[in-house]
Amino acid sequence: MKRAGVRLLQVALPPLAFFAAIVAIWQLATMLWDIPGYLVPSPGRVLGAAREHAADLRAAMRLTGSGALCGFGLGLLAGTAMGLLFSQSRVIQRSVYPYAIFLQTVPIVAIAPLLIMWFGNGFGGVVAVSFILSLFPIITNATAGLTLVDTNLLELFEINNASRAQTLFKLRLPNAVPHLVVGAKISCGLSVIGAIVGEISAGFGTESFGLGTLINMATSKLDTAYAFAAVICSTLLSIAIFAAVNSIGATIMARWHIAPARSSTTDMNA
Amino acid sequence: MAPSLKQTMLLAGLLLGLLAAGCSRRPSGAPPGDDSAADAATRDGDEPQRADPTLTAVTLQLNWYPEAEHGGFYAALAHGYYREAGLDVKILAGGPETPVLQQVARRAATFGVVNADNILFGRAQQAPVVALMAPLQISPRCLIVHESSGIREFDDLKNMTIAMSNSNAFSQFLRHKLPLPGVKIVPYPGNVAQFLLNKDYAQQGYVFSEPFVARKEGGDPKVLMLSKLGYNPYTSLLFTHDDQVREHPRLVSKMVTASVRGWAQYMRSSDEANAWIHRVNPQMELDILQYGAETLKPLVLDEVAEQQGIGAMSRARWQTLADQLVESEQLKPDDVRVDQAFTTQFLHGEP
Repeated sequence: MKRAGVRLLQVALPPLAFFAAIVAIWQLATMLWDIPGYLVPSPGRVLGAAREHAADLRAAMRLTGSGALCGFGLGLLAGTAMGLLFSQSRVIQRSVYPYAIFLQTVPIVAIAPLLIMWFGNGFGGVVAVSFILSLFPIITNATAGLTLVDTNLLELFEINNASRAQTLFKLRLPNAVPHLVVGAKISCGLSVIGAIVGEISAGFGTESFGLGTLINMATSKLDTAYAFAAVICSTLLSIAIFAAVNSIGATIMARWHIAPARSSTTDMNA
Repeated sequence: MAPSLKQTMLLAGLLLGLLAAGCSRRPSGAPPGDDSAADAATRDGDEPQRADPTLTAVTLQLNWYPEAEHGGFYAALAHGYYREAGLDVKILAGGPETPVLQQVARRAATFGVVNADNILFGRAQQAPVVALMAPLQISPRCLIVHESSGIREFDDLKNMTIAMSNSNAFSQFLRHKLPLPGVKIVPYPGNVAQFLLNKDYAQQGYVFSEPFVARKEGGDPKVLMLSKLGYNPYTSLLFTHDDQVREHPRLVSKMVTASVRGWAQYMRSSDEANAWIHRVNPQMELDILQYGAETLKPLVLDEVAEQQGIGAMSRARWQTLADQLVESEQLKPDDVRVDQAFTTQFLHGEP
């Protein structure tokens, strides 16, 4: 127990010290050069704004978070399904995969208003944008995990007359798990970005505002401290979702994944 | 079939070449970011009247793409009023996210164009910005609804969708002022496509722009002016930095006088200014600009302007606006600084 405490300190102390140093330099710089708050607010002012608008920020984080999680969840399901499809048919993979790349390259800010036209304003539109951004890392990683299987193992399955389904569920799918976890880690952060971009175009309705809307409103009133506070909340939201995905991924890998990947599992936990 | 080393090198070389070409293309001195702004700036620079050492170079940062609501400033440029005043004015196009107040507050631009509520928000955050003249006495801000919807006034707005920008002060004012039962407010999409498709849909606009486009596309827009509801901030204000007023009052005076001349000319004849706007913002067709200039006339030349001249501002109007912003919880009472927000000292010729 004591060892764990020491270890936690070792892990947590350096980033905390770095954070404190940055905040101190930031505060000092704004005071020393007398930088006006509407250009760069001091950490003190940002904290003040965060306190003043705490209720709005909390509500916005809940709203943006639920939009992002829905987009991410749908992305995980649809991306894995497409990966499964690709792993079963070369023809489908060859003909559809190039269009999946489109998802990665499309300028989301430009097409967000179009998505809103199709999926409507409010929650649906926000989820749609978040989904589009989350999808691609899942598709590529799922496809890679399902297709890049050790040929020796494939031959072993063949020699033993394994059915297609058996090969898929007993060999390909377990092989894909670490890849899927990596994909999920990439796309959960993107889903938050997607939700915020979506909010700016789609909104959430009349009374409730997400983080994207708050950032927009604060900026237009030159309330840069409030905008900073909202941006920091977006980051905290991403970090929280990432941490959740990371620990779920680690649990799955530790409990369920087969022996050969154990070394990489411990790496991820370290 | 793995690409050979030679092929890879060739590809890398090609990419590097593209990069170099891309980097060298940006004209020096043009602001980074918005390409249309950069284009507009260079095109202005290509005019025959360039770099005269006897002229003082100043910049005017707009809050939107060049449109009719900036017409008078372009008229002053097109008819040479700025040059006659000894100024080499470069007008910088804006866009949806242009930080106009910040640019002027940190003196990256000499003058700027915003609306009165922006100035009050800026002063509330201690930004040293001061309004100099108000070309548009009456705000062109409106909602457009469908003629066929039967809606005749603001109180009729219910059970529908209204598209308007949350970040815009008038939108929050509207939400506080009206009950709006069953109304869903969605972000302003920047065009009239949704409006044309949906009968139970209203959206924000400028009276000389969105209604015109909607009608041209076969819609039946009915205009509700925000000014009728009492929300009427001075629009397309010319403003500058406090220090500019203190240190260079003559320069500021010249800029204000030439701009007032430009607006007077734009009211008489808008053709040359509109041609200029069309050149720097080809999206704006000449017919919509002409419609804009016509529609602007009653907004610029109201009774006050007839009596006191174009650009006039009154403390009472500024105070009303500040009260409205406080009432709709957008400004804290302690942050209201009406007297610092504007000055009329340059409106009547040389100081």
